[in-house]
Amino acid sequence: MPLVSANDVWREYRMGGAEPVAALRGASLDIDAGEFTCLLGKSGSGKSTLMNLIGGLDRPTRGSIEVEGRDLAKLGARELSFYRRKMVGFVFQSFNLVSSMPAWENVSLPLVFAGVKRAERRKRAGELLERVGLGRRAGHKPTELSGGEQQRVAFARALVSNPKLLLGDEPTGNLDSATSQQIMRLIVEENQRGTTIIMVTHDPDLAERYATRIVRMADGVVVQDSAGQAAGGLTAHGAPARETAR
Amino acid sequence: MTWLSMIGLALSGLLRKKGRNTLTMLGVFIGVFALTMIISLGQGLMSVITGTVSGDDNLRQISLLPGFGIKQNDKPEEISIEGDMSERRRDRLRRAAIARSQLRQTSGGQSNRLTEAAMAELARIPHVQSIKPLIIKRYAVDMGDKHSESTQTFGVDFSRRHPEERVIAGRYPNSAGADEVMIHEYLLYTWGFITEEQAASVVGKTLVVFTRNGVSEEFPQANGTPNAADLQAAIKELKLTEEEMAALLKLSPRLPEIMAKMRGSDTKKSQPVRRELRIVGVLREPEAGDKFNLLEDGQSSQADLFLPDGLADKLLREASGGGEMSYQRALVMVDDPANAEAVEQKLRDAGYTAFSVAAVLKRLESSLTVVTVILSFLTGIALVVATLGIVNTMITSVLERTREIGVWKAVGATNFQVQIVFIIESALIGLFGGGLGLGVAALSMIPGDLIARNLIAQRTSIPFDGAVFILPYWLIATGPLLGTYVAVLAAIYPAMRAARVDPVTALRHD
Repeated sequence: MPLVSANDVWREYRMGGAEPVAALRGASLDIDAGEFTCLLGKSGSGKSTLMNLIGGLDRPTRGSIEVEGRDLAKLGARELSFYRRKMVGFVFQSFNLVSSMPAWENVSLPLVFAGVKRAERRKRAGELLERVGLGRRAGHKPTELSGGEQQRVAFARALVSNPKLLLGDEPTGNLDSATSQQIMRLIVEENQRGTTIIMVTHDPDLAERYATRIVRMADGVVVQDSAGQAAGGLTAHGAPARETAR
Repeated sequence: MTWLSMIGLALSGLLRKKGRNTLTMLGVFIGVFALTMIISLGQGLMSVITGTVSGDDNLRQISLLPGFGIKQNDKPEEISIEGDMSERRRDRLRRAAIARSQLRQTSGGQSNRLTEAAMAELARIPHVQSIKPLIIKRYAVDMGDKHSESTQTFGVDFSRRHPEERVIAGRYPNSAGADEVMIHEYLLYTWGFITEEQAASVVGKTLVVFTRNGVSEEFPQANGTPNAADLQAAIKELKLTEEEMAALLKLSPRLPEIMAKMRGSDTKKSQPVRRELRIVGVLREPEAGDKFNLLEDGQSSQADLFLPDGLADKLLREASGGGEMSYQRALVMVDDPANAEAVEQKLRDAGYTAFSVAAVLKRLESSLTVVTVILSFLTGIALVVATLGIVNTMITSVLERTREIGVWKAVGATNFQVQIVFIIESALIGLFGGGLGLGVAALSMIPGDLIARNLIAQRTSIPFDGAVFILPYWLIATGPLLGTYVAVLAAIYPAMRAARVDPVTALRHD
């Protein structure tokens, strides 16, 4: 059984009573545990929408998204919160750190809502900051950190609850190539520890370089999937992938 | 979910905008402060009044005065104007009737004098224990070479009333009729006895009370206003022409009536009185903590000589030239404070003027309660405004932190947790504001008491050292709770908005 199974997923938005705008138009995708999947596509292709649905931040208009056999569409708001808390870690393009909190408090924020005691939170945050190489900057506020450091803090925050799924929405979009590589190395490392990674990007090179599987999206559906074929091979639709052809 | 973590998160949110949150908190502070002060003032004044009045048999006493041929209408609301007329006219006539009813003439307009027979009759009213005249009269006084032209004397029932704490030298008179007197320290001071030892040295000396030319000075007017005899003498002295007399009559058409009254008082010859009395004790002015008797001590606040009531009565009879006695005022004692108001009503129904201390106290208490409640409501407006301030602050906070709320949700915060963080933030504002308001109010009561006490001491002769502000115990608990409660109410809408934040929108990269 796949870890994540999206089945004919639609997501429509209603804007001012006009005709609904569909961001997803029947996307289907299975992801196995331990995969490093890149959702690749242009702006508006629905890749972020699909990732948000898998992460339980949003609900599909139609279709089902099953994670470990549970349909997220059928979970209540509270259960969906618990799902995000236990199963998912998010890394965003714009870091989304709380500027008034020092690094360690940002890292431990998920544990606050999980009801972990402060001393335990501090210990756990310290370990993770150590792992991303920021052990000595635990007391610094985000404004005192560089962009790469901030993203590493955000990465540590995503992992603090030991999620099975790590979701990244253009996590290197705001970073230069050197720091991007640092972050990507951390993500690959995490993947090697067994965490399933789903990363949204519009950068084919990045996907090519790090992902074990590339899923191309356009107009709200999956148009190419490298699964089931040798890396660099043909897509499911038989057309040669542009990025693998190079 | 550990509440401690939530409180920590809320606290860190509060500390982020210290200035704004402090100002918001000041709103709650002002509301709770003002409310605490007003309730404490009401409580304090109430206890000052009851404390002063309720001790020493005060509530069993009724002040009885002659009826002046008028009766007060206690129920103006029962007046109705009958007949076919417009509502405006009915309203006019009703108001006119109320105005006229308030001092209604009793049958025949006769005044009811406080004669001995009348008092004996009134003493038969159930629950009346005793009726005794209160005799307050001015005499000229000599003690050796010391002289006072007009000294107020007061007849005291020493068998019932022992102002023990006020005796600074000597003792009480032995019996109601003894030719003995207690003297007030103030008269001695004006005579040059400066220290208490000097004052005490007069015990045993002889003092003479007397009247001149039969002129009674029962109720002299303020200084400079001639009494009846002086006025009459002066008019005779002037030898007015008819025209001048007519001009005077224009000033007051009642002049002939006044003149007749004066002649009347002339015909009842007042007799000169002269009596030697032995000073047996010295009384001091009441101090705070003394038993204070509202009617007796209040009426005799100018008295410098305290005579046994029997002697005071004897002197009054001599001075008035015999015949039937008619008193200016009497003191009615009832058996139980609970019956005071009923007896007061019976005395009024009988055509006399009567005031029971209990009824006065009750009226004072109820008006004080009304004033306190009204002021509390007005102050409550400050709290309502503070509440709106909290709503404003919390909504601003939610809007500013939309992205942060998105993060909270992304990392697993439930809607309830998001709400709770904002409600705790607001509650803390209310708790601090309320606590501060209560604390500062409690502290300001110390100088507040001093100031109020000084004001009272400067303006009145009533000894007083109680607290004007009394912080009731229930308020100590409810002050901060009230602030918190108000703040939690204020946070409900902003917290709901926070919970509705859509994480996808909030976290969108822009």
